[in-house]
Amino acid sequence: MGWLNAMDPSTGLPQALHWIILMPLIGAVINGLLGKRLGRANVHLIACGAVFASFAISAIALWEVSYGGSTRITELWWHWFTIGNIPVELAFSVDRLTAIMLCVITGVGFLIHLFSTEYMSHDEGYWRYFSYLNFFIAMMATLVLGSNLLVMFVGWEGVGLASYLLIGFWYTDDEKAYAGRKAFIVNRIGDFGFLLGIFAAVGLFGTIDFAELQVAASGLVGSTVLEGGIFNGWTMTAAITLVCLLLFIGATGKSAQIPLYVWLPDAMAGPTPVSALIHAATMVTAGVYMIARLSFLYAYAPGAMAVVALIGAATAVFAALIAYTQNDIKKVLAYSTVSQLGFMFIGVGVGAWWAAIFHLVTHAFFKACLFLGAGSVMHGMNDETDIRKFGGLRKEMWHTWATFLIATIAITGVLPLSGFFSKDAILHAAHVNPNVWYSWVPNTVYFLGLFAALSTSFYMWRMFNLTFNGERRGMKEHKAHESGPAMTGPLWVLSGLTVGAAAWGFPFASGARFERFLSGIFEPANANLQRVLQAGATELGTSLPPAPGHDLAAMLPGYIIALVVALIGFGIAWYLYLGPGKEIPAALVARMPKVYAAFNNKFYVDELYDAVIVRPLKVSARVLWQVVDSFAIDKLVVNGTAVLTGWIAQLFRYFQDGNAQRYAMVMAVSAVAILWVFLF
Amino acid sequence: MANVPLAHYLALAAAMFSVGLAAVLVRRNALVVFMGVELMLNAANLTILAFSRTLGVQEGHVIAFFVIAVAAAEAAIGLAVMIAVFRSRKTINVDEVDALKY
Repeated sequence: MGWLNAMDPSTGLPQALHWIILMPLIGAVINGLLGKRLGRANVHLIACGAVFASFAISAIALWEVSYGGSTRITELWWHWFTIGNIPVELAFSVDRLTAIMLCVITGVGFLIHLFSTEYMSHDEGYWRYFSYLNFFIAMMATLVLGSNLLVMFVGWEGVGLASYLLIGFWYTDDEKAYAGRKAFIVNRIGDFGFLLGIFAAVGLFGTIDFAELQVAASGLVGSTVLEGGIFNGWTMTAAITLVCLLLFIGATGKSAQIPLYVWLPDAMAGPTPVSALIHAATMVTAGVYMIARLSFLYAYAPGAMAVVALIGAATAVFAALIAYTQNDIKKVLAYSTVSQLGFMFIGVGVGAWWAAIFHLVTHAFFKACLFLGAGSVMHGMNDETDIRKFGGLRKEMWHTWATFLIATIAITGVLPLSGFFSKDAILHAAHVNPNVWYSWVPNTVYFLGLFAALSTSFYMWRMFNLTFNGERRGMKEHKAHESGPAMTGPLWVLSGLTVGAAAWGFPFASGARFERFLSGIFEPANANLQRVLQAGATELGTSLPPAPGHDLAAMLPGYIIALVVALIGFGIAWYLYLGPGKEIPAALVARMPKVYAAFNNKFYVDELYDAVIVRPLKVSARVLWQVVDSFAIDKLVVNGTAVLTGWIAQLFRYFQDGNAQRYAMVMAVSAVAILWVFLF
Repeated sequence: MANVPLAHYLALAAAMFSVGLAAVLVRRNALVVFMGVELMLNAANLTILAFSRTLGVQEGHVIAFFVIAVAAAEAAIGLAVMIAVFRSRKTINVDEVDALKY
C-alpha cells in the first residue's frame, strides 16, 4: 500500500518536493526539444499542465505546513558534493514562508501561462516561449525550495538565465537583445556579491544550510571578538554585517535596487506576460525572500539593516520620481515595480519581515494584474504602449478596465484593498521599530516611504486616467477590442486575490493574520533582534521604547496619514489629467524644459553608468584587445617566434650546399673535436 | 700461435681507418669513396674483434658479423644507387652530384 502512504502529505511530501521543480523542468525540455513539431495546443497543454501540477503539490505543501502539524518538510534529494567537511546536499525544505512563496510562484505563474496562450497565440516562437517560461518556474521553485545557500544560488542563477532568455525573446530586434544582455550583466554583478556572501557565511559559520545557520546564529553576542579563520580579530557584529551586506549586493541586482536597478525598466523589452511574471511578481522579489530567509542573521547586523532600509527607501522614492513622466505604459509599471520593491526592502530593513513578505505577496497579485492588464491593452491596441495615444478605453475594454481599476486602487494604498494593509504595515513598522545604533534611520525611511506612497498614487492614477478615462487622443480610427477569456480570466482571478488578500492584513489585536501565520518563521529573528537591541540600549545607556502595538488602535494614525497621502496623489492626478488643470502639465514642461528632460531621461543614470563604468571598461577592453592581445601577444610573441625561427633558418640553410664530402668533413672534424674534448 | 699485443691491432685499425677517412674526404670518384667507407667499417671491425679476443668475450664477434652483414647490404644498395646516378647524370663524381641543396 505504498501509494496510499504517498497520498498522505506528511509521509508523501518529503519524497515529492522535487517534483515541484521537475514538472516544469520536464515541460521545458519537452517543449524546447519537440515543441516545434507538437503543435500549439499540445505545447500549451504541456506547459500549463506542468505548472498546474507544481501548483497542486505546492498547495498541498502549504496546507500541510499550515494545518497538517509539521512546520518544516525537508527532502534530501541527493548528496551533491563535499568541500572540506562541509557537505553540500541537493536538499529542499518547505516551511510556511517557502510554501507561500511557492504558491505565489506557481499560482500566479499558472495564471500567466494561461494568459500567454492567447497573448502569444500569433507568435512564431510559441513553443520556445513556453519552454523558457516553464524553465523559469522550475528555477524559481529551486530558489525558494533550496534548503541551503548553494541550492538557492543555483535557482538564483537559473532565474537570471530565464530572465535573459525572455527579455531577449524577440532577439531579431537589436535593442531587445541588448536589453537582455544588460539585464544579464547587471545581474551578474549582483550575483558576484551574493557568491562572496556565501563564502563569507561559510567562513564564519562553516555551514550553508539554513537550519544549521539558524542554530549557529542563535545566542550570539555581537561584541565577541572572533579568533582564527578568515575573520580573525573581527567582532561578531562586523563579520555578520559583512556577510549580510555582500548578500544584499546580490539582492540589489536581482531585486532591482539602487545602484543596480537599471536593468529592470529595460527588461520590458520582453513579452508583457513575462514582465508580469518575472519582472514584477516573482523573480525580482527573490532578494526580499533571501533576506527574510536569513532574517535571523540580519537581526544581528543593525548596520546592514539600516543600509537595506535606506537603500529601499531611496529606491522607492527615486523610481517613483522617474515614473512621473514616463509615457510608456510598461515603463511606468516597471518603475512602479522598482519602487514597490523598495518598500519591501524597507520592510526587511526595519525588521518587519512579515510585512515585507505580505507586501511581496499582495504586490505579486496586483502588479501581475496591472501588467497583464497592460498586456491586454496592448493586445487590443496593436501593441501600442504610449499612454498619450490611449484614452477612454473604459468603454471598449470593460474587463481590463475593471480589473486594472481594482489593482490600481490596491497599489496606491486605498482602503480596503490588500495593498493598503501591506504597505502600511511596512510604513508603520518603519515608524515605530527602533534601531538603537542608527536611531535616525527609521523615521527618515518612514518619511521617504510616505513620499514614495504619494508619488505612487500620483503616477498610477495619471497612467490610469490617461489610459482608460477621457477621450482617445491618438489612434482615433482604431477600434480596440476586448481580449478573450484566456486573458480576462486570469485578470479577474488576480484582482479577486488582490481584494481577498486584504483579509490577511487586517490588524487584529493579536496581529494581522499573515503576521501570525509567519510568526514561527520569524521568531528566531525577532528574538535575536530583541537581544541585539537590548544589548545596544545597555551599551549606549538609552532605554528601549516599549514594544510597538500592532492592533487597529495603534495603526489608526498611520492609516489615516497613509490614506490622506494616497488620496492627495489621486487628487493631483485627477486635477492635472482629467479635471480643470489639464493644461498645467504641458505648461510645466514648457516652463522648465531642463527639469522635464532630467525626469524623462531617468535622471541620466544610464548615461552616468555609461560614462563611469561602461565606457572606461570598453576603452580598457579595447586597449587589452588591440595593444595587449593583437599586438603584444599575437604579433610579438606568437608570430614573432615564427618569424625569428624563419630568419635563423634562412641563415642556416646555406650550410646545406649539396656537397656530400663537405658534410663528411664537418662530421669528421666535429667527431675529432668531441673526442678531443672527452679524452683530454 | 704467438700472441699479438692489442696495441698492434689497434695501430693497424687506426691506420686503416685513417686511410679510409682520407679516401672518403678527398677522392671525387664515388666508387673510391665507397671503398673508403668499407675500409673504415673493417677497421672498426678489427678493433672490436681485437678487444673481444683480448677480453675473452663473445659479444664482439656478434657485432662484427652484424657489421659485415650491414656492409654487404650497404654495398649492394650503394652500388645500385651509383648505377642509377650514373645512368641519369653520366658521372659518378661526387662534386657534381649536388642537386639536393638549399
